[in-house]
Amino acid sequence: MPSPRQRQLRTWAFWAVPVLLLFLPLATNAYTQFIVNGMLISVLVTLGFTLVIGNLGQLAFANTAFFGIGAYASAILSAKLGLPWIATIPLAGALGALGGFLASSAALRGIRSYYLAIITLAFGELMRWAYLHSKPLTGGTDGLPLPREAMFGISLSDDTLKFYIFLGVTVLLVKATLNLMRSRFGRAVMAVRENEIATASLAIPTARVILVSFIWSGFVVGCAGALFARHVGHVFPESFGMLHLIASFAMVLVGGLGSVLGAVLGAVLLTALPEYLRAFPGMEELFFGLIVAAVLVTMPMGLASLLRRLSPIFVERYYREES
Amino acid sequence: MNKLTSLMAVAAFAAAPALAQDAEWETQGLTDDAITIGVMGPFSGNASSYSKALIGMMAYYDKVNEEGGVHGRKLVAVQEDTACDSAKGLAAAKKLISQDEVFMLQGNSCSGVALALRPTIEEAGLPWIVAHAVSDSISDPLAGNIFHGVPTGSANGRAMAAFVLSKPGTENVAIIEHSNDWAHSYSNPARDYLKEQGVEPTAELTMERGQTDATAQVLKLRQNKPDFIIAALYEAETAIFLRDLKKYGMGDIPVMGTAGTDLENTLKRTGDFDTVKNYHVIHSYVDNLDGEKMKPWGEMIHKYYPDEELSTFSFVSIGSAEALVSALEAVGPDLTRSKLIAALEEVRDFDTGILSDPITWTPEDHQGVKGSAVAGFVDGEPTVLKAWGQPY
Repeated sequence: MPSPRQRQLRTWAFWAVPVLLLFLPLATNAYTQFIVNGMLISVLVTLGFTLVIGNLGQLAFANTAFFGIGAYASAILSAKLGLPWIATIPLAGALGALGGFLASSAALRGIRSYYLAIITLAFGELMRWAYLHSKPLTGGTDGLPLPREAMFGISLSDDTLKFYIFLGVTVLLVKATLNLMRSRFGRAVMAVRENEIATASLAIPTARVILVSFIWSGFVVGCAGALFARHVGHVFPESFGMLHLIASFAMVLVGGLGSVLGAVLGAVLLTALPEYLRAFPGMEELFFGLIVAAVLVTMPMGLASLLRRLSPIFVERYYREES
Repeated sequence: MNKLTSLMAVAAFAAAPALAQDAEWETQGLTDDAITIGVMGPFSGNASSYSKALIGMMAYYDKVNEEGGVHGRKLVAVQEDTACDSAKGLAAAKKLISQDEVFMLQGNSCSGVALALRPTIEEAGLPWIVAHAVSDSISDPLAGNIFHGVPTGSANGRAMAAFVLSKPGTENVAIIEHSNDWAHSYSNPARDYLKEQGVEPTAELTMERGQTDATAQVLKLRQNKPDFIIAALYEAETAIFLRDLKKYGMGDIPVMGTAGTDLENTLKRTGDFDTVKNYHVIHSYVDNLDGEKMKPWGEMIHKYYPDEELSTFSFVSIGSAEALVSALEAVGPDLTRSKLIAALEEVRDFDTGILSDPITWTPEDHQGVKGSAVAGFVDGEPTVLKAWGQPY
């Protein structure tokens, strides 16, 4: 268990990262800033995913559906209803949460394991079908462009402005998720993962735990969808298919299943890696696969386990620590 | 007077950094012996087969370079992968523009990626010639620096309808299509053209993707007795539709297909010449792929890319590369981005010798290729046609 000093150090370390990141735009160009912005979005996607698949232990793959719901909600609210994009972020999160609620209904009916995996995969594909075939609303295969917009007199196509907004949203949601996981609820989530029947026998409402986990996961990933919509400026159905799901799953596994720190590490590494591999046209997929396989073989608990070995301040224990 | 001179000097001094920046931007990616061109394409991922569409353009650059370049400058391509994904495509564009600092951009398959790139590239202002993606929305509404160097979806759709109406006595036209945007990108402009010519389709039918039988559609068409059928279907469904047309004794009705199908591939699929003898497809070139007029282009590609297996895609970007080189030559050695854009807007009726229709770019219209030829079997041989019964 970390000592009080180490816990304090952990708190400082948590806040030091975003504070240092505030200065990052001084060292980036439009391209590298764009990649960094993509990393922040991936952090949220991975965070929402790992909550359900890692912490709650449910083999559910509706993550990409939540992401698409958030992105399309943001684009539709901006383009069709004229809402400022920034106002669409919580609304996209709310619709993502609604998606989470729908996805949890299968789990609440006792469907588990591979069956839940297939049902949630089908949910994702159903959503993609809906984006394709609701042309008046979603633009169909042509996608839906977000209107050009400015904040504080700066165009929202500016990657630096987007970075500060994305960073704010990411820090807020990561901190909220950490707090949630360190609460009584977080402990119940992990109890469900370990043994659902035993948890229920302790008068913990497991159905509610499952429901809230899916809803929170949907909210976080829905918000990420809204950020993604502004990130690319034009949402297309193809962005929310199996490839995205596989990439997100790889981020969860490489970072470390069920770890918030792992979600961050996995997202950062696997968003940056394809960009470094641009130098090997035609070989990117091969190198990407090899690197992911190498990480998983040498570190089955992900990159977070490596940091945990280096210092106890990286240990994530979601029980109440004595002060 | 002295005061005025001083004021002007101060103004000039104040404006100097901005002017210098403008001058620097105008010649970014340019040296005395090289013009760097950012080439984006799907080199990985599910749609990587579309990267073949950039081969012709790259081979043409190599040919120009071997002949000494343009005003002594070699065309240096910097390739970036879009993986046919909008986020990856944007990263590629931003890398080329802000990190590699290329002079201009050319290429792009995947209309979705090109549409996502449009605002970024329009804002960046450097010239961009789209050499494969066909969506009209990439270059319409007009963006000052974006040029389309291949027939757009609407150009192809209108060419289909024009060919149909070029058959004497055609009054009764039917349309069969998939219920997706790909099909609509052909069928809607075709409908518009027919309407302009006073022709209303007498039957409009849907055949879904993956359908393995077209009996219902064919029986419906038998009641209508169309003079010509426009089929906006993928190749597999086209083969099924043609097979069923013949089966129900309607094999003599001519059918007009999209650029998404290939004449000889369709024949291979049906395995019966009688089913395709009246089938026609959009074909953007002056000759069959193995025809005499295409032979030099095929040889050029093989000279620089010996392993390239030639297909329709291999040639598609050559025309726009030729138009680019012609504009670069017209500008002269004192090249800037603005001068190149101005020169591209002066390209008129440029005969590429490979595309069936010439390229014309004006300040008001950057969609350069307005039509397309058609391929069909004439006396059992695949033949490129300008209009019904008129070989190209």
